Amino acid sequence: MIQDLVVYALYIAYAIAVLMTFGLVLTWVERKQAAVMSDRIGANRAYLRIPFTQVKLVWWGLFHGMADGIKMLLKEDFRPKPYDWYAYMVAPWVVFTPVLLVFAVIPFGGTLVPGQLSPALAGWFGERSYPMQIARLDAGLLMVFAFGGVSVIGAMLAGWSSSNKFSLLGALRAGSQMISYELVLALTLLGLILIYGTVDLTDIVRQQSGTIGALPAWGIVYQPFAATLFLAAAIAENKRIPFDLPEAESELISGYFTEYSAMKMGLFMFAEFIEIAIIAALFTTLFLGGYNLPYMHDGGFTLPGGREIAMSHGAVVVTQVVVFLAKVFLLCSFQILIRWSLPRFRYDQVLKFAWKFMFPLALANLIVTVIVVWALRA
Amino acid sequence: MTWLLANLETILLAVFGVSALAGGVLVVVLRQPMRAAMALISTMIFLGGIYGLLGVHFIAAFQVLIYVGAVMVFMVYVIMLLDPRDPAFRRRFSPLLFPGAAVALGLAATLIRGVAPGTAPAAAPAPARGFSLAEFATAFLNQYWLHFELTSVLLLAAVIAAIAVIRVARGDHG
Repeated sequence: MIQDLVVYALYIAYAIAVLMTFGLVLTWVERKQAAVMSDRIGANRAYLRIPFTQVKLVWWGLFHGMADGIKMLLKEDFRPKPYDWYAYMVAPWVVFTPVLLVFAVIPFGGTLVPGQLSPALAGWFGERSYPMQIARLDAGLLMVFAFGGVSVIGAMLAGWSSSNKFSLLGALRAGSQMISYELVLALTLLGLILIYGTVDLTDIVRQQSGTIGALPAWGIVYQPFAATLFLAAAIAENKRIPFDLPEAESELISGYFTEYSAMKMGLFMFAEFIEIAIIAALFTTLFLGGYNLPYMHDGGFTLPGGREIAMSHGAVVVTQVVVFLAKVFLLCSFQILIRWSLPRFRYDQVLKFAWKFMFPLALANLIVTVIVVWALRA
Repeated sequence: MTWLLANLETILLAVFGVSALAGGVLVVVLRQPMRAAMALISTMIFLGGIYGLLGVHFIAAFQVLIYVGAVMVFMVYVIMLLDPRDPAFRRRFSPLLFPGAAVALGLAATLIRGVAPGTAPAAAPAPARGFSLAEFATAFLNQYWLHFELTSVLLLAAVIAAIAVIRVARGDHG
């Protein structure tokens, strides 16, 4: 009992630490990558000076994220007279909390058997094993959508309660856009659920350890079309360029969070950056084999020729955790690449794109998948 | 510590139950539509927590997904658009205070009589623990698919009616 508590407390601490670090680092990556893409130097001024020396740690400006955080915490928290004080105060949290909660069902590693890691742990843990995931639920993917739907409410509350017309317009846009793309998002994944026959995310990752011919049985091999649609819809759901109409600064100042300052504004920004990592983690889990390398499973590798390479438990755990983080980071970087490559849509185009382009495509993908799965099983 | 761990489920159930009830009371008591909606959202989420505690996570997911993610999102959306036009909530009491109170008392009396010891119906046998999503899905698509499809026809009718209303209001008959 106590052992379970210790392991899960560690998992939760790890999850929060990873998400916060991603949130902080991505604020820097976004600027630095923009600079690299446009042949500039980019964020490079923030540094840490080692006390009593003149040694300055610049580290390519990596401390900019930290400087931003400290600035937002120390800035004056200017509070306008909101239309509804309670909704105004609660809204940033309604946006921020569900984003963190989604990570609870995403597996960030295979099965951990602490007893096999070292003899010292074996005495206390015995043969207990823990999936590396905060909550292993048979309804994992449904939970992702359940929490994903809640942050829409936060955006709308923020815009509505600010008593600012820019905010209200931003909230309207956020509401319609997020509802539309959530539908597309769910529809793109139905085909995948049909193929795997489960919504348990750990199970989905395990099934991707197999092979199709010589290729790893990753979701992106089964459903390349759905993977593209999913990524596009997820970026739209996160309200990032090219879909950042709810906060289009040239039209709406800052959209639904115009009237927020200091750390309350920081929460909206932070939620957006953490959601980049969450989208990357989801995409990794559903389409890119999750925490495993190609052909890898909890016991080692099974190559297409039938050759087995066994690995010790400690090596597997470390590889899985590192591989997961690496995949997530690469996908975050890819999302930022998209953000700096594409221009913003017009608002009517955003909705038309959802309903008249992506929605029919997702439906067509689902119908083809249904027919193929039915034909193969018959 | 051990006591806390042993009784964790009971404590959580009590916390969720009381919070859900408090949210329900607030829905009735609060006058401001958006605040009532927020209270309703919290009630839904705590109910989801109770389902999760009972081990039926997918029902908890559906509770949050459908009631919060779909129904309440639209309610908040509508209140956001229409709220300033209807200042009725600024009055202390509704003109229907007394009929409303009478109905509430009647309902409470019926409920209390139903739950009172001796008159309560025999409790249904507790389902086997770990009722999984797969079982639910099989039962749903084998036994209840017709009801489900009929509901969707109803929703389609509602959508068409809404569009028709908008067209009439705009004076656009073409």
